[in-house]
This record gives sequence, structure tokens and C-alpha cells, in this order.
Amino acid sequence: MNMRVLAPTTDLMPPDSASGTTLHTIVAVMSFLACLTLGAVLTLSRMASEWTEGLSGSVTVQLLPSPQIGGEDQLAEALRITRVWPGIFAARPLSRSEAMGLLKPWLGEGDVLADLPVPQLVEVTLTPGKQVDLAGLGKALKDQVPGATLDDHQRWNRELASFAASSEAVGWAVLLLITLATLAIVIFATQAGLQAHREIVEVVHMIGARDVFIASEFQRHFMWLGLRGGVIGLALAIATLFASSLMWDSRDAPVGAQYLPQLVSAPWHYVWLLLVPAITGLIAMFTARITVLRVLGRMP
Amino acid sequence: MVRFENVGMRYGLGPEVLRDISFSLERGALHLLTGPSGAGKTSLLKLIYLAERPSRGMISMFGRDTSALQRDELPALRRRIGVVFQDFRLLDHLTVLENVALPRRVMGETEAQYRADVEELLAWVGLGNRLNAKPPTLSGGEKQRVAIARAVVAKPELLLADEPTGNVDPDIGGRIMRLFIELNRLGTSVLIATHDQRIIERLAATKILKLSEGRLATTNQAAHQPEALRA
Ligand SMILES: Nc1ncnc2c1ncn2[C@@H]1O[C@H](COP(=O)(O)OP(=O)(O)OP(=O)(O)O)[C@@H](O)[C@H]1O
Ligand SMILES: [Mg+2]
Repeated sequence: MNMRVLAPTTDLMPPDSASGTTLHTIVAVMSFLACLTLGAVLTLSRMASEWTEGLSGSVTVQLLPSPQIGGEDQLAEALRITRVWPGIFAARPLSRSEAMGLLKPWLGEGDVLADLPVPQLVEVTLTPGKQVDLAGLGKALKDQVPGATLDDHQRWNRELASFAASSEAVGWAVLLLITLATLAIVIFATQAGLQAHREIVEVVHMIGARDVFIASEFQRHFMWLGLRGGVIGLALAIATLFASSLMWDSRDAPVGAQYLPQLVSAPWHYVWLLLVPAITGLIAMFTARITVLRVLGRMP
Repeated sequence: MVRFENVGMRYGLGPEVLRDISFSLERGALHLLTGPSGAGKTSLLKLIYLAERPSRGMISMFGRDTSALQRDELPALRRRIGVVFQDFRLLDHLTVLENVALPRRVMGETEAQYRADVEELLAWVGLGNRLNAKPPTLSGGEKQRVAIARAVVAKPELLLADEPTGNVDPDIGGRIMRLFIELNRLGTSVLIATHDQRIIERLAATKILKLSEGRLATTNQAAHQPEALRA
């Protein structure tokens, strides 16, 4: 970036000092890590809410053979009760082959299935956005249809939700640590940079510059430095996330792949990543300001 | 304009490098400060341009007791003083023009406001063709002239010059002295630290502050023979 375009006159700071290059690299690396972590955290929280929505969007009624009622009556009765229940959008019996399809991953293909008494399943779709009294429906089915039970996936749901929540918490903690490390490194590099340019600070101070003038020169320099480093890190992170989500966006992706940020399918979700370079810029800026003012405060 | 009363100064916990210094510099005066190397000339100038504080005694600048000054009053005071540092202290990454313009920029002026003045001044010290050179590519004498131009560009009320002719040939040295005398005529008080005999002889009528081993003797050169000064 050409500083002359933005600043009317040349920076008081040398443009390409050694500490500047080091700081660029360090900020870029920290920003890269922060972006990846933030991407993962955002993905986890998106997945957590999708799971919750998806699971509460449908429940299953299971009908086990009962001596008290014939199979067809049992199904008709269950459908009747379910379909009139408030908040139910649809209820559809699964055919035997659909039900077996669901079991196949666990039992494998073969003759076993043919002889197995497979329970009749009814897939119940809830009206989106409506509060449904699932406990009441479960009780009604149990009381009125022998052998009927309602599986509302509560256990599975709770486990997934708590898994997602704890992963998300770990992600935030990592993000916090990376932010702290970035802060420490930027403070350190700023102070080193200031030490290298002590002569400049002294001369400008002796010539009659006010502390805030010197501080604003330095903070502008370091803000751009932090911002550029942050943008480089962000660009690298986006390239990484994009490549990984492209790679695993296919149907036969392994189970672990769903934990990768789905940058391709939901790019808008990741605009938060833009915060990272903004924050590295601000950290560098404020550190420079505070450090310069403190050093100047020791000069007569 | 500047008044010292029984001033003593030490660096850190070291010995006193200046002892019992008392003198005053009137508005419009042109004084010389001489003395052997290590006598404390630069240290005395540092006290005047407020880079060091005295360890004892009283210094008054522009009618204000410096020990009573608030920190935020110092920049305004420093802008009334131009300094030619003995080691120039130019900023290597800035051009000659930007170095000279620094005091004006620090005051908040824009390039449009100072550019013409700076170019004129640099032409006057013979550097009109080196405006965009960087200090590391300049000779010692050229650096010295840049340092002098920077010291006077903001038209200070008091000009302090530490060995301003140390690196230049007699011709340029003469020009520099004429610049100082001209500024002095226009009302700037000037204090030149030097052991350049040519300057001392040239300014025969001026008051001389002679430092030796941290103590000051004020003499009027007219009362002495030049030979006595050379000794
Ligand atoms: N920053 C410093 N820290 C400690 N001692 C110093 C410092 N600067 C100067 N001195 C000491 O103070 C004494 C006076 O030094 P000063 O630079 O004022 O002499 P000077 O008269 O300007 O000499 P010269 O003609 O060589 O420039 C010397 O003994 C020197 O060693
Ligand atoms: Mg000296």
C-alpha cells in the first residue's frame, strides 16, 4: 500500500524497517490462526442450531406389534391422532423397505432383515415455528394406541447440543488465547520498533512536537502495519477454509468433514472474519500510542 | 531571554559537569560559548533547549522559571528555540527538504505553507539542487548546512548552534556566519558554541562565555588580545 496516497506527507517512521517486516509476519500468522479458530467456532454454532432445528422439525412414531390391536387398525388410529394434533404438519407411514433402509447401516444386507419383525414407523413433520406439545402427543398415543411410542429424539438432541456447546466453548477459549498472544506480541514488537526509532522520537520531541503529534504519527504507522498483517492472515485463512470446504463438499465426505467450515455453502456467515484484521489494526494502533506516550513521558 | 543562576548539572549519578553557572543572554544578543573539548558546552546548550534539567540552581527562559513549567508548556517553548546539533541529528529516511521542513510540520503547517520557504532557504545555503537527497548521501558539510537550515526555518527567537562550522570550508563557514549575523540583526538572539578561531576573531566585539572544567568565565573579547584567546 502506498502511504503517500493516504498521508499528505511522508511518515516520520521509516517505511520498511526490520521490525516492521517482523511485525507484519507475526501479525499475519496470528491473524491466520484467529481466522481459522473463528471460522471453526462460527461453524460449530451454526451446526448446533441446525441440528436443534432439524431434529425438532421431525419426530417418529414407532408401532410395535400388539396382541390387543391389528396392525392396520393400529396404524390408522395412530395417524388419526397424530394428524389432528395441533402443530403437526404431516404424518407419513414409512414403507417396510424404507424402514429396512434405515436399519441397513447397522445390520448389513442379507437375509437377516427378511425374517426380522421390523416395527411400523410413522414420520411426523412438525409445522416450522410452532410450539408443539410433544409430551402430550406421546401420552395420547400411548394411552389410545396399544404398542405406540413417540420418539422425539430428545436424548440425541441433548447430546449433540451439549457436544456442540462444549466444542464452541473450547473454540472461544482458543480464540481468547490467540487474541492475548497477539496483544503481547504486538506490544513487544511495537516497543522494539520504538527502540529502533528512538532517535526519531527524540529529535522530533526536541524540535517542539507535542506528545500527541508524535503518538499519532506512530499509531498511524502501526495501525496500517497491523491492518496489512491482519488482511494477509485473513486472505490465507479464507484460501485455506475455501479449499478445505471445496474438498469435502461432496456427498461421500467422511464424518469428520462436516466439522470443517462450510465456506462455500454459507459465505455470508463468515463476514465476522473481517473483524480480525480490524482488531489487529486497532491493537497495534493503541499499543503504539500507549507505548510512545509512556516513553515520551520519561523525556524532559 | 535566558538567565542561569548558580546552575549545576550532572548526568545521572555522575560528577557535576557544570558548576555554579551564572550568566544571562539578552534579547537580540549574539554570544559565543568557547572552551576546550569536554568543558561542557553541549551540556550547557542542552539545559537551554530543555533536553536536560539542572541538578541545582535556577534557569529562566523567556522570563519563565523552567522548574515551574508544566510538561505541556514545553513544546511551545521549544518552538521558540532553533538548535543546530553538534551531531546534526537529521532523520536519515527523510529527504533534505522534509528534514528542513520538520519544525514547520510539527507546528501543524501543511506542505503548501512551508514549501516555498524551505526551498528558498536551502538554495541560500547552497543545497538548492539536493532537495530530494537523503542525509546518508550527503557530505559532512552538506549535512551541517541542512541542520542549520532546519534550525532557522521556523524563525526562532533564540538560535543555539553547536559547532556550526566544524565541517565546512572557510567559504561556507563565512556564509553561515553571515546568515547568523543577519538573523541576529533581524532580532534573533544567537548563541554559538565553537572553538573555531576564525569565528572568534571575526566576531571580535561580542561577549564570550568561556567554559573550562564546567565553570564559566564571562569575558568581553574587546578587552583581550586574540593571542590570549588562542592560548
Ligand atoms: N550523555 C552523557 N552522559 C554522561 N556524561 C556525559 C554525557 N554527555 C556528556 N557527558 C560528559 O559531560 C562532560 C561535558 O561534555 P560536553 O559534551 O558538554 O562537552 P563539550 O564542551 O561539548 O565538548 P566538545 O567540544 O568535544 O563537543 C564530558 O566530560 C562528557 O564526558
Ligand atoms: Mg559538544
